[in-house]
Amino acid sequence: MNPNLESVISAFAGSAALTSLFIILALIGTLNPYHRPAIPMLGASTIILASTYLFAKTVGIPADSVALRMTMSEGVLALLDILPIVFLMSTFMFLKASLRKRPEDPLLALLESEPGPK
Amino acid sequence: MSLWAAQVWLGMAIAVIGFGMHRTGPAFRRHPFGAPVALLGLAVMLFRVEEPPQPESEVVAAAIDAAMWLLPALIGSALVLMGAPLYWRTRLLPLLAGWALIVVAWCQYYSTMSVVLSDTLRWVTALLGVVLAFTVFALCVRTAERMTPQEPETEGLSEKERKYVESVLRRHLEVADEP
Repeated sequence: MNPNLESVISAFAGSAALTSLFIILALIGTLNPYHRPAIPMLGASTIILASTYLFAKTVGIPADSVALRMTMSEGVLALLDILPIVFLMSTFMFLKASLRKRPEDPLLALLESEPGPK
Repeated sequence: MSLWAAQVWLGMAIAVIGFGMHRTGPAFRRHPFGAPVALLGLAVMLFRVEEPPQPESEVVAAAIDAAMWLLPALIGSALVLMGAPLYWRTRLLPLLAGWALIVVAWCQYYSTMSVVLSDTLRWVTALLGVVLAFTVFALCVRTAERMTPQEPETEGLSEKERKYVESVLRRHLEVADEP
């Protein structure tokens, strides 16, 4: 397979699998009695398995635990690649936030005029 | 899978779980264990005695390389958010320090990373992968919510509950005793 196409498919499968893994871990980290995580976890696990299968077929290796590790590793590299784009957008938002004027709020003005908490 | 490879993934899992824990609770009182668990995860992931095997060694190397610009970027972003007039008056010192760190992060990024135009397609497909994962998650959450049986209408508060809610509101609004 064309190496460029292989790299593109790897980035797609890896980022989908790693994002799904993050979703599962975030669900674990935020478990509470009102959670119903079974269906979202099933969906995320399906994405991980399908992405691993796609990656293994693309690279030409068996779809086993090694393929899973390689898919996740591709995901980390792909997400690290797109972080600068996220940071670029964040920088523009920070610039907007830094230059904005805080709207006048009578309640905040009242708070400012009173002494702070002890 | 070798022990060192498992350590990398375990560390990453603990870090993400810690971050998830940190996001729970009200903004003024986050989960007390969130940040320590996340830091523990990062430590488990990055500090090791032996070099992990492939492909984990590549992951750790890329994470350490990215940390060179990510750390100033994260600290700078936090300082800018603290200093910007979002909820309160402008606080000049954190704002300027934050912007200085953001500039350092961008300089660091351009000095260490090589951006090639042909990577654009890879970025786009990586974004599509993220979007696919979130879309499936959103659909699953919608399905789970639709399958949840509707609960009967909640009864009004009892006198005891009403007094409790009133006392909580009074405490948080810092209202002095009634005259």
